[in-house]
Amino acid sequence: MKGILFFVVMLLSIIAYTQTTVTGVVTDESGQSLIGANVLVKGTSIGAVTDFDGNYSIDVPDGSGILVFSYTGFQELEITIAGQSTINVALAEGTTLDEIVVTALGIEKQSSTLGYSIDEVSGSDLTQARESNILNSLQGKVTGVNISNTSGNLGGSAKIIIRGVTSLSGRNDPLFVVDGIPISNNQTTTGSRITGNRDFGNGASVINPDDIATMSVLKGAAATALYGSRAAAGAIIITTKRGESNGGNAKVSINSSLRFDDLFITPGYQQDYAMGALNKYDSSSVGFDWGPRIVGQTVDNLPAKGGPGQLQAVEDNGVKKFFETGKSYINNLAISDASDRMDYRLSFGALNQTGIVPGSSLDRYNISLNAGVNHNANFSSRFGVQFINTNSEGTAAAGANDPNIIGLSSFSSNLDPDWYTPWIDDAGNQINNVTPTSNNPYWLRFENKNEREDNRVLANFSMTYNPFDNLSISGKVGYDYDQDNRLLTNRKGTAQRIDGNFIVDKLNRTQLNTDIIANYNTDLGESLTLSVLGGFNYNNRTFSRETLTSTSLLVPELFDPGNTAQNVPTRAFSEQVLFGLYGQAELGYKDFLTLSLTGRNDWSSTLPTNNNSYFYPSASAAFLFSNAFNISDKVLSYGKLRASYAQVGNDTGPYQLDFNFFPITTATGQYSLNINFPFNSRLAFAKSNTIPPENLKPESQVSYELGAELKFFDYRLGLDVTYFKSENTDQILALPIPETTGFGFLRTNVGQVNTSGWEITLDATPISTKNFRWETMVNFSNPKTEVVKLAEGVDRVLIASGFSSVQVVAEEGKGFELFAIPFLIDSASGRPLINPVDGTRQAGIAKTMGSVLPDFSMGFVNTFRLGNFSVTGTVDWRSGGVMKSSTVENLQTGGLVIETAGNRQGTFIDRSGVLDNGDGTVRENDIPLSSTTAFWQSIDDNSIAEPFIFDASYVKLRELAITYSLPESVLGSTFIRGASIGVEGRNVALLYSKVPHVDPENTLFGSGADGFGIERASTPSTRSLGFNLRLTF
Amino acid sequence: MRYIKIFSFILASLLFSTSCQDALDINTNPLVASSADPNVLLPFVIIQYSNRHTTELGTRIMDVPQHFSACFNSPRNGNTSIFLTGNTWGMYYTQVLGNLQLVEQDARDAGPSSNNVAAIAIILKAQSFFELSSIWENVPFSEALDGASFPSPNFDSQESIFRGVVSFLDEAIGLIDGMPAEGVFDVSTGDLIYEGDMDKWRKLANSMKLRTLMMLRNVDASVDGAINAALGQPLIENNADAAMLRYYNTPAESNGYNRLVEAFFGIGNEAQGVYAPGDPLYELLWGSGDPRTELIISDPDSAGAPGNGQFAFGVGGATITNNVIRNDIPHMIFLPAEVNFYRAELALKGVTGDNAQEQFNLGLTNIIKWWGQDIPGAELTASSDAIAAYVDGLPALTNDEDGLRRVHEQQYLETFLRPVVAWNTVRRTGFPELKPPPGTNITTYLKRFNYPPDEVSSNPNTPANPNTDVPMWFEN
Repeated sequence: MKGILFFVVMLLSIIAYTQTTVTGVVTDESGQSLIGANVLVKGTSIGAVTDFDGNYSIDVPDGSGILVFSYTGFQELEITIAGQSTINVALAEGTTLDEIVVTALGIEKQSSTLGYSIDEVSGSDLTQARESNILNSLQGKVTGVNISNTSGNLGGSAKIIIRGVTSLSGRNDPLFVVDGIPISNNQTTTGSRITGNRDFGNGASVINPDDIATMSVLKGAAATALYGSRAAAGAIIITTKRGESNGGNAKVSINSSLRFDDLFITPGYQQDYAMGALNKYDSSSVGFDWGPRIVGQTVDNLPAKGGPGQLQAVEDNGVKKFFETGKSYINNLAISDASDRMDYRLSFGALNQTGIVPGSSLDRYNISLNAGVNHNANFSSRFGVQFINTNSEGTAAAGANDPNIIGLSSFSSNLDPDWYTPWIDDAGNQINNVTPTSNNPYWLRFENKNEREDNRVLANFSMTYNPFDNLSISGKVGYDYDQDNRLLTNRKGTAQRIDGNFIVDKLNRTQLNTDIIANYNTDLGESLTLSVLGGFNYNNRTFSRETLTSTSLLVPELFDPGNTAQNVPTRAFSEQVLFGLYGQAELGYKDFLTLSLTGRNDWSSTLPTNNNSYFYPSASAAFLFSNAFNISDKVLSYGKLRASYAQVGNDTGPYQLDFNFFPITTATGQYSLNINFPFNSRLAFAKSNTIPPENLKPESQVSYELGAELKFFDYRLGLDVTYFKSENTDQILALPIPETTGFGFLRTNVGQVNTSGWEITLDATPISTKNFRWETMVNFSNPKTEVVKLAEGVDRVLIASGFSSVQVVAEEGKGFELFAIPFLIDSASGRPLINPVDGTRQAGIAKTMGSVLPDFSMGFVNTFRLGNFSVTGTVDWRSGGVMKSSTVENLQTGGLVIETAGNRQGTFIDRSGVLDNGDGTVRENDIPLSSTTAFWQSIDDNSIAEPFIFDASYVKLRELAITYSLPESVLGSTFIRGASIGVEGRNVALLYSKVPHVDPENTLFGSGADGFGIERASTPSTRSLGFNLRLTF
Repeated sequence: MRYIKIFSFILASLLFSTSCQDALDINTNPLVASSADPNVLLPFVIIQYSNRHTTELGTRIMDVPQHFSACFNSPRNGNTSIFLTGNTWGMYYTQVLGNLQLVEQDARDAGPSSNNVAAIAIILKAQSFFELSSIWENVPFSEALDGASFPSPNFDSQESIFRGVVSFLDEAIGLIDGMPAEGVFDVSTGDLIYEGDMDKWRKLANSMKLRTLMMLRNVDASVDGAINAALGQPLIENNADAAMLRYYNTPAESNGYNRLVEAFFGIGNEAQGVYAPGDPLYELLWGSGDPRTELIISDPDSAGAPGNGQFAFGVGGATITNNVIRNDIPHMIFLPAEVNFYRAELALKGVTGDNAQEQFNLGLTNIIKWWGQDIPGAELTASSDAIAAYVDGLPALTNDEDGLRRVHEQQYLETFLRPVVAWNTVRRTGFPELKPPPGTNITTYLKRFNYPPDEVSSNPNTPANPNTDVPMWFEN
């Protein structure tokens, strides 16, 4: 680290300045401002992007040079600065498309020179209909990206997969980089799916969408090669907004939204039959409506409330009463300014939400400062800091074995949720619960706490020194600090946690990252240009955690270990270091050919010291054939071919090389009936269950992509096609081995996973008149994952485990599959074999039941502008893939939904089944089931999952935003320079789905696991509608 | 170009200085140990075994031998869920045997001063393999626990496993006999069963040998010589020698049976009705005058057992008492009455010269005294006079089928609350005759578990699963 300090001191010693700021407005020929247009000082990497009102501000060294203005579908325009401080331009439609995009290490490049595909989404697109989790805003907008949401839980995580899954060991998350600094996107849950957990969101969800200028999605290995192994699954490069000049005044922007969240889908509850079993009423059987027909009869004992009363169906089983309307207030205030010497932007964001689950709330505050100074013509520095404070309460429980889980099957036809109120008496006892061994849901929501406070600091500091024209040297230091404190409690008197308990969980994560980069550009004669880059990277990550689990409280609601009979503290710590040395050479020929070569060597602390170094190269080429062959007619306006090849290595997690004995605090038992050490004052240690690897090698990925980018009819129509393929070998995996060896796993290099597919984007501006403009974009991708090879004798590897024998597995010859128990079938007819004793269906042997990943996904984004109105809608289509829904299972076996209301009287024969004659033949089933209940309950007997596995395809109207910009004639005389109001909606409508009663998108897993395709008691997802106001002055 | 040189120099010095290599040399977890003492490994093994055994097997399969009327997620109807089988299998092989293998290896390397540690490890291994074979019949034994030589262990026959278990126990007894007079490793902290008392371990090893030989004898009478030899060596014949793990009345250290009741229902099994007696248990005890009856069964209204397959909380009826389902009831591994009843059985069969009546009475006295007096933390008691009056008042044991039936019924009652031994006993003796539970998918009561999918998928040598009603080798 001494070298870095020396470098910093060296840079600091040279300070002076001569620089000017140029500001202005970019519009189209009709005067409509262009949002997100690029402004670049020609021949440099100094650039800016126009804001909502088309304003830009750019610092120009020496106050001279040429500004290049560009915008998709418009002609590029070059203007000589010549000392002007204000340059307003109007761009004409259609010509060269040479956008500036942000590539790896934050290097801005002209997109025509890239040999790989890159998707860039501007900040304004991300805030069309604002999402509290920035990842969700990408849904449907970026080709080749799959984003899944866990549930309607406030602050819940979203999982992003770029170009399909490639890793068997869970390393499928892209690298997140904010202003050049990698940040953590980890998700750590408190508890497990088995014991019940809380999803507190993924690490990158704290980024304030209002602070984002652009988000680049780097998909292939060639695009991410300079980031090295950490971006093996792609990278998301976020650039935050910088200060802009505002004609001598500070610029103030206000963006306010008010949003309402409601249940997205209400199950089709049956309202004819009451709680109970075998047509007999039972006031305690919540979620089991197999009772008598509701005919207004009087019963002795109403549920929860008690006492006699009349049986009456409650609309939608009361879910609309129980789940509330969530409210979100999203406010952002930004102040910015810029001059030729400095720029800064200070932003305050506040997100205040209440959820649909009673008692849930989330408050997030972002303060960010992004500032830069040009000390002199050769030397500049920049720093950015974001402080993010997140407080949440009442985060809903998920998983299993936790009494706090409330799902759509926790309601009954004749149980009015109002009867649960009040839920506590003066003495602190739980009341109005339906039985002493079950809980009043309001007690769970309001007496049991889930509090979390997360403080995050993302800071970066960089200096750039240009000793002479063609050379720049920059150093950048970034730090990501996260302190996450959680308190989960169960109040004394909670059934199943009768003595009360609490968990204090404190997590700390840090990441220090340093890059030193030198960049040299030169012309090699008439038609050749050369750009060379070399850099060094140091990255250090730590994670530490302290957890206290305390059980049996003496004094209620006193959460101190001194007040509990049992205290189990645990600790965890890890640290890993990576050094990287990288270089890139880019050769340009005339204006149509670019060849780029990169190389990077990483040294990782997580690999054996004798094999911790790995080198990987990449090569890419871009050929602008429309320039090369001077094709520029009315039909084809632009044509480019690109090709790239890359090899990437990857390390593993820390502390996986040694055989160790672990101090143990818990002896596990079924149903979480655990025992703790010290036991009778005895300490306990146990060996690791994983045999450490010998001669571990880095993982390897070889990939290539080919693509073409074509623009037609003066850029009114664009087509971008990419084919990609990657081969992932030597995966570092804890391979399951026979437990009869005394160990469960062997960590080793195994297997091969291939991923390939097409990405196609079609964009068009079918109509463009003075007052009306329609822009449309369709994207398609079909990443296919094939598990080519696992290890010798291993057919499948567990990726994630659900419940009731349902798993996600990687199976050789297939991909990521749902593995579950089907019905036992007669192989000849393919029909279920019926149990001759009771007429029920029987369980077969577990098998793979289909891919959990979609065959393809498509997004449709349409924008209509009519005068000052604009309407934007995004439709998201996912096709293929299966899911198992435990919520549907519970709704059906509980007799809660409409399809279970038929044939309730008398017996029932399952006519779709056959009976085994014992001689290899079968006959039609004629054995009656004792009741309809028996049919529905038997179809999931012995963990049969088949009837609850559905095609997970869906089409959703993902977002819709209508905006009206107040015309200047209205604002003319006021201090307000721009104002717009809008109506926005997210998850607006489910247009197509084959999954009954629930949102096909819900999953049990958060972003921390590669689990897809399993849904269980998740918090129902929400539909959001809201209003938005934006002001600048 | 001067700057490039400076820059290059900085890079070079950063990369190739030793400090970089030092910075990478951090891959050692500060929160783990590279070796461990048997006094910390044995507590893990014993308690993890006991807790998994109690909460997984105890609360789930005690209705298979029909000691309980019904258990949660029970395999009684023929389906052994992958969680039940997987959790149990993993506990035995990786948590218990995997650690014991390392304890034994270290102790053997240390020489005779650690013979006691090696012997304890081997006895516990023998116990695990005995139970594994009792649950699955053929399991990896000779090739188990040696992944380097046998990455996919073959499965041994039940006969060879049981004979191997006997050899293990002989080996452990030999190690104990070969202990030096002084300087023996102090294992009293880690040995939660006997606190390092190797005389008792020797008795336990010999008693387990007898138990295993009795299983072999069901098929192969040629073990009679070995049985007689074992009977000539010290055995567990006194309640003070009972092998057990004690539990305590604190949440962190209490027995899993009651923790299940308190965690999911409320206080007290009698009030909650979670565990109820199965029909055969109720029929053998209720009204028999056996002083154990009230200690074990609560049925104030004489409502009878709720019926096999039924929970008492659904239908009412008799329950297992709070005297049994309590925090501090010990995990019983071997009780002396088991030896007495074997002796009575063998005497009736003419294998030994023991007095069958005497051993029968001794067994009954031992087991009733255990429940009524000697078990730690008993809330209900039985007086010695009452016990003597009951035992003396029983009709004489006849030397015929009926006499044998009475011994087998007492063996069945003796195994109460010990799921594997109880299941073995009823499968070995055929008494009492168990009826398949209502709603079963198989032709008999459950005879075996299926192999867990994890082993099936990772070990190509795993045999095909027989139906769960196919009897094991020892039953034939």
